[in-house]
Amino acid sequence: MAALNEKKTCSQRMENFKRFVWNPDTGQLMGRTLINWVWISLYYVAFYIVMTGLFSLAIYSLMRTLNPYTPDYQDRLKSPGVTLRPDVYGEGGLEIYYNASDKNSWEKYVTTLHKFLSAYNTTAQHANINCTSEKYFFQKSFLGPNKTKYSCKFTSDMLENCSGLANSTFGFPEGQPCLIIKMNRIINFLPGNGTAPRVSCTAQHDDFSPLELQYYPVNGTFNLHYFPYYGKKAQPTYSNPLVAVKFLNITRNAEVTVVCRVIGTGITSDNPHDPYEGKVEFKMRIQD
Amino acid sequence: TSQSKQMGLQEVIPGLTSARAAEILARDGPNALTPPKSTPEIIKFLKQMVGGFSILLWVGALLCWIAFGIQVAQGVASAFDNLYLGVVLALVVILTGIFAYYQEAKSTNIMASFSKMIPQQALVIRDGEKREVSAEQLVVGDMVEIKGGDRIPADIRLIFAQGCKVDNSSLTGESEPQSRSCDFTHENPLETKNIAFYSTTCLEGTATGMVINTGDQTIIGRIASLASGVGNEKTPIAIEIEHFVHIVAGVAVSIGVLFFIIAVSMKYKVLDSIIFLIGIIVANVPEGLLATVTVSLSLTAKRMAKKNCLVKNLEAVETLGSTSIICSDKTGTLTQNRMTVAHLWFDDQIYSADTSEEQTTQSFDQSSQSWAALSKVVTLCNRAEFKPGQENVPIMKRVVVGDASETALLKFAEVILGDVMGIRKRNRKLAEIPFNSTNKFQLSIHETEDPNDKRFLMVMKGAPERILERCSTIMINGEEQPLDRERAEAFQTAYMELGGLGERVLGFCHLYLPEDEFPDTYPFDTDSMNFPTSNLCFVGLLSMIDPPRSTVPDAVSKCRSAGIKVIMVTGDHPITAKAIAKSVGIISANSETVEDIAKRLNVPVEQVNKEDARAAVINGMELKDMTTEQLDEILINHSEIVFARTSPQQKLIIVEGCQRQDAVVAVTGDGVNDSPALKKADIGIAMGIAGSDAAKNAADMILLDDNFASIVTGVEEGRLIFDNLKKTIAYTLTKNIAELCPFLIYIIASVPLPIGTITILFIDLGTDIIPSVALAYEKAESDIMNRRPRHKKKDRLVNEQLAVYSYLQIGIIQSIGAFLAYFTVYAEQGWLPNTLLGLRVNWEDDYYNDIEDSYGQEWTRYQRTYLQWTGYTAFFVSITIQQVADLIIRKTRRNSIFQQGLLRNKVIWVGIVSQIAIALILSYGLGSVTALNFTPLRVQYWFVAMPYAILIWVYDEIRKLFIRQYPGSWWDKNMYY
Repeated sequence: MAALNEKKTCSQRMENFKRFVWNPDTGQLMGRTLINWVWISLYYVAFYIVMTGLFSLAIYSLMRTLNPYTPDYQDRLKSPGVTLRPDVYGEGGLEIYYNASDKNSWEKYVTTLHKFLSAYNTTAQHANINCTSEKYFFQKSFLGPNKTKYSCKFTSDMLENCSGLANSTFGFPEGQPCLIIKMNRIINFLPGNGTAPRVSCTAQHDDFSPLELQYYPVNGTFNLHYFPYYGKKAQPTYSNPLVAVKFLNITRNAEVTVVCRVIGTGITSDNPHDPYEGKVEFKMRIQD
Repeated sequence: TSQSKQMGLQEVIPGLTSARAAEILARDGPNALTPPKSTPEIIKFLKQMVGGFSILLWVGALLCWIAFGIQVAQGVASAFDNLYLGVVLALVVILTGIFAYYQEAKSTNIMASFSKMIPQQALVIRDGEKREVSAEQLVVGDMVEIKGGDRIPADIRLIFAQGCKVDNSSLTGESEPQSRSCDFTHENPLETKNIAFYSTTCLEGTATGMVINTGDQTIIGRIASLASGVGNEKTPIAIEIEHFVHIVAGVAVSIGVLFFIIAVSMKYKVLDSIIFLIGIIVANVPEGLLATVTVSLSLTAKRMAKKNCLVKNLEAVETLGSTSIICSDKTGTLTQNRMTVAHLWFDDQIYSADTSEEQTTQSFDQSSQSWAALSKVVTLCNRAEFKPGQENVPIMKRVVVGDASETALLKFAEVILGDVMGIRKRNRKLAEIPFNSTNKFQLSIHETEDPNDKRFLMVMKGAPERILERCSTIMINGEEQPLDRERAEAFQTAYMELGGLGERVLGFCHLYLPEDEFPDTYPFDTDSMNFPTSNLCFVGLLSMIDPPRSTVPDAVSKCRSAGIKVIMVTGDHPITAKAIAKSVGIISANSETVEDIAKRLNVPVEQVNKEDARAAVINGMELKDMTTEQLDEILINHSEIVFARTSPQQKLIIVEGCQRQDAVVAVTGDGVNDSPALKKADIGIAMGIAGSDAAKNAADMILLDDNFASIVTGVEEGRLIFDNLKKTIAYTLTKNIAELCPFLIYIIASVPLPIGTITILFIDLGTDIIPSVALAYEKAESDIMNRRPRHKKKDRLVNEQLAVYSYLQIGIIQSIGAFLAYFTVYAEQGWLPNTLLGLRVNWEDDYYNDIEDSYGQEWTRYQRTYLQWTGYTAFFVSITIQQVADLIIRKTRRNSIFQQGLLRNKVIWVGIVSQIAIALILSYGLGSVTALNFTPLRVQYWFVAMPYAILIWVYDEIRKLFIRQYPGSWWDKNMYY
């Protein structure tokens, strides 16, 4: 083994490496002759073409098996998530921190809300129909235009005081801000088992006086006729129903942690891993 | 008289006083060899912690902690994932390190228990009285007494000796007992008769002597320290594994760095890029492989131990397999290590005797009257005796008191005649002259057992020419005939022929003393020799040899077909050595040495073309004068070589010569002085029975039955494990691509991560472990003893073909199969493949809790994460399913699986079942433990990758088919690993 242990000098190594890259005696480039390189490359090109073909074929047949309207499984979507608008995140999650007298501090919230509600103005919603029934809006067949199903209208004026129409600052300068609660869409999900689910917000630590709240639409309910959702392809113009919450008595200069839950059968909000399932939590602080 | 002499001696020499002895002991230290310096345990342990892939994993762990530190400072919620991953990686390194250390320690412990000796006692004269002390307490100047059977406790100069003989074979290699006396006969301490050496054995007689050297100062001690001076070389398998680690680490680091650069230039954050780098390292490193290799080697070591090869160093298992030259001792290894009667000559004819290990009868023609006379001489003119109480022991195994030739004759007679002791009793011995080197004969006078025959029978044996000188007649067919010139020539021919076979020949003669001259009461006096010792009647010749073990010729021919050169190195006479070499096939029947050719052609040796001679018998004296180049020339030009009359020091030269030819050399040895050669050899093999402790210490392997044939079975096992390790590594490397591709696609296509780092560890250290060990149980594909030993620089464990085939072909198929499962899971849950592309940033945004999928549904972050884990599980399961196919195809490299048999290796099935069971447990049992990132998977997702598993099998069968069909073709060269 003695021979193997002989340390090669650096120049010897370089020489060996050069010889490996190009060996003039055998005409080998990196250990193969040129023609050999061509052959092996051709083989691999062919191999990968076949493999790509097989993979494409598999993906193609996978797509063929899928239903274009509803996914095969909704294993991870048993209960909808709930989000808040304006969705401005700070270090500790959702934070609504502003100074009532400083326009710059709350303007971003107002802009966000306006932007968000622009999808709910009458022009945006004109394709949707007016619904009046207080029941689930089941549609077996595709009666809508272009083989779609109808979606119910939800316009921002349904949020009344929080629509941003009468009060374009959503009550922020007054220290009584409007926040909007949105429930995530899940295809064929029927919340509330016949009773309209409603939003209920509470302060997490009731050190302060109990929250005085005003919900829009009344009672903070999501009307049942917005459910079930039939998916993007069936209901291309569907928009989520919203609930706006106006906070009337937020203690000034103090941080308030608020949890807004959507209450209704089939909506769980106790998943320890998922803070946004069935509820949304946020902090508020309004300074003078 | 000897009693009184000894008494007198004791009075004259009172020995040391206890006080003085204690003083010297304090100065010189105990009389024991310093054990070879062993590496401290902690160093051994730490070496395991940084060896192999450990460094790479430590780097990974360190990067994890750095990422953790940065993320904590930034307040990232998932920062702790990195901390845990770092801890897991560190744990992996530490646990595999502990495992490897434990395995090493276990095999070392076997050795430790093996070499443990009972403390030796010595009879020493101190304070004027004899006492037993532990040999370690001896000091220079002590007077010690030794008797037959004792081990010499130190180097001793004899001041009194009676019939003392020592066995110096462990020191000098001379197998003949050496007589010892008080006479100074030679300048060289090794040659002079009045010194007995530490660790040699006193065979017979008694002696008293003064201790002149103790402990490491003894001759043995000096040789032992010489042996520890010869450095330990790296074993071939260690070099192969290092080579393999370099390849994998090279791939890991270069891909890691490449993608780090790509990620940074794709505007990923540096921190994210570091996390990618960790993933790539973890995916590339087969964490469990080195542990698997260790287990496979120790399994083979166990198997070898069952076949009488005890392996000290696990890696030596494979070294034996790559052996290309075996330098073997003769005595005891190739031969039975006991003199046995091989031929007889009487009635002008040579008869062969059975020399096998378990002889119970002899089948040569025993009807002649001459045989009756010869057998009588053989029986009576013999001083050897069986030790009592061995009636039930087979004759060949009985213990005999007496020297080697007499023992051989006694056993020979016992086998044929039975009850030799009874015959001797009936033919009472009246007088006897024992053998001595001046007379060169042994003689005794007996009464005969025939009550009517009052004559005395004088029997004599000795060196044939001396015996013949004393004879005037010769017995032919029971008749005494005059010993004329013709008869004498016949004798000479027979003597030469037997001598030419390398056998020790003894002549036998007898004489019936006339009744009238030698009446009943005749006083025989052996000093004055008042009886005739000439004009005797020659009866016959017997020749003895230490015969080859019966299994050896077969083993040698196996070595030959396996391309292993067997070189005999012996201290014996060239003729004997050559004869044994011929009879075991080390020199094959039709090959000639230069001398043979010269003799046949009748030309001087110098004129013979050396290349014509396949065989060579080299004398130690010739070797002494040879230059390195000349020795190299001999080793290259001759395929059958015998070194005779070599000193153990020359063994080292021969080993070095073989190693210059790039051979992997196995050396057998038993003596202390063999230890440097054993150390120098790539694999030193010590004899378990005859071997000295020093030899066993220096060796890598111990042959428990001292049988050469066991080496050959060891070679077979060693070759098998090399092949099987190749399979194991190919199996393990394949899935690394399937683990790596997800990260590459994740970085480039920005899809949700298909498989997590933790999940990868569950494959590497979970599902894959038992299957890769199972490949160690795979049977050989063809007769592995019919191919040449691997060339240690060309036939690598991991060659280009293996890496390329595993990485770029099977690995790619596996990745595609696993990605199909990944896309299937996502698509069926609402995320179509086109939606996934470029989704990564939003997907991983903790504040984005209403991302729309392809169907318009909105997902929170956690819902997505949970889906991501489902993706991990599906990817994991798909790799596992395809690894089952990979495991099956790796059973063979050339043959079809159906030729090899699917069910022959049951352990493979244990592996497959374990693989699937572990996957089931992880998915369904531990699916709810969020830290592990597994989820219970829908049943059909287990089958998504199945077609690809079948594709792997079919593709590999086609590959093997072409390899078998077109050997030597482009396909064979590029696809056979």
